[in-house]
Amino acid sequence: MHNGNLKLYAELGELARFVEHAIRALSQAGAPIASSSTGLPAATAHLIDLSKLTEDGALEVMRLTELIQDNRSRMLKELGAISEILETVDCTTLAQRLQKTVSGLAQDDKLLMEIMTALSFQDLVAQRVKKLVGILNDVQDKLMELVVVFGIQEDVNGAAVTGKTGELLKQLEASKTTAIKQNVADEILAQFGFN
Amino acid sequence: MPADPNMKILVVDDMTTMRRIVKNILKQLGFANIEEAENGQEALQKLRAEPFGFVVSDWNMPVMTGIDMLRAIRADPQLKTLPVLMVTAEAQQANLVEAIQAGVSNYIVKPFTAETMQEKLQKIFK
Repeated sequence: MHNGNLKLYAELGELARFVEHAIRALSQAGAPIASSSTGLPAATAHLIDLSKLTEDGALEVMRLTELIQDNRSRMLKELGAISEILETVDCTTLAQRLQKTVSGLAQDDKLLMEIMTALSFQDLVAQRVKKLVGILNDVQDKLMELVVVFGIQEDVNGAAVTGKTGELLKQLEASKTTAIKQNVADEILAQFGFN
Repeated sequence: MPADPNMKILVVDDMTTMRRIVKNILKQLGFANIEEAENGQEALQKLRAEPFGFVVSDWNMPVMTGIDMLRAIRADPQLKTLPVLMVTAEAQQANLVEAIQAGVSNYIVKPFTAETMQEKLQKIFK
């Protein structure tokens, strides 16, 4: 009976050591997780900036394209009017040459429209950025859960975690999840002579 | 029946860039009476306030998506026959099927060209 108890105690002691080791390993893994987690808001901000920059760029190209289209439209009308005048004063050859030039210029309208429609890439970029930001936010939330579970409250440089991460940690600190787990492990250890 | 160049067209998209592109293409195709809305809800308000002949809409928009707006249009006795063209980056087959089931008049996948828009318009208003 006595031997049976000793064997049981030994096995429970082994189990307690394993639990403590596992908790320490998880805590060590928490530091890089916390570090990565604090970098995610910056990555999100960069992506949002990227989307804004492409939008600004696309709108500027669009504005300039529209200006060119308007100028060309005015020029084509003017050239058409000149061509008509030339025909009325029997300068047929000159009028025909002018008409040919007008037709050539009209081909550019199609190209300008293609430039305009090619700018729709910006909408696709914005939609993909939005999806990426969603994914990053999700990953950040998951990492935050891990950080809180492991009780990591400082970054790799030892500085206190600030910003959203710090705020979340503070909010979630009340749960004392890690402390409770560690307490349980310490209790078991104490019961088996670990001090 | 060919499209009336004077009909009022509503372009619905949350992106300024896309609204300007679509407006510009429509302008080039001879349609000058164009209004804009930033989401499905704003579009529905405009559609219920004044008569429109055609709607060009994005799918992904905040407040109310294009597909929800389309369903609302088809459920509204005053608007149910209004032609709606979806212009969207949602290129999955399931999205297209969903749009067809919701009663879309035609469907353009981004990025697109002016020719595609013209072709779709001709099909809708043939």
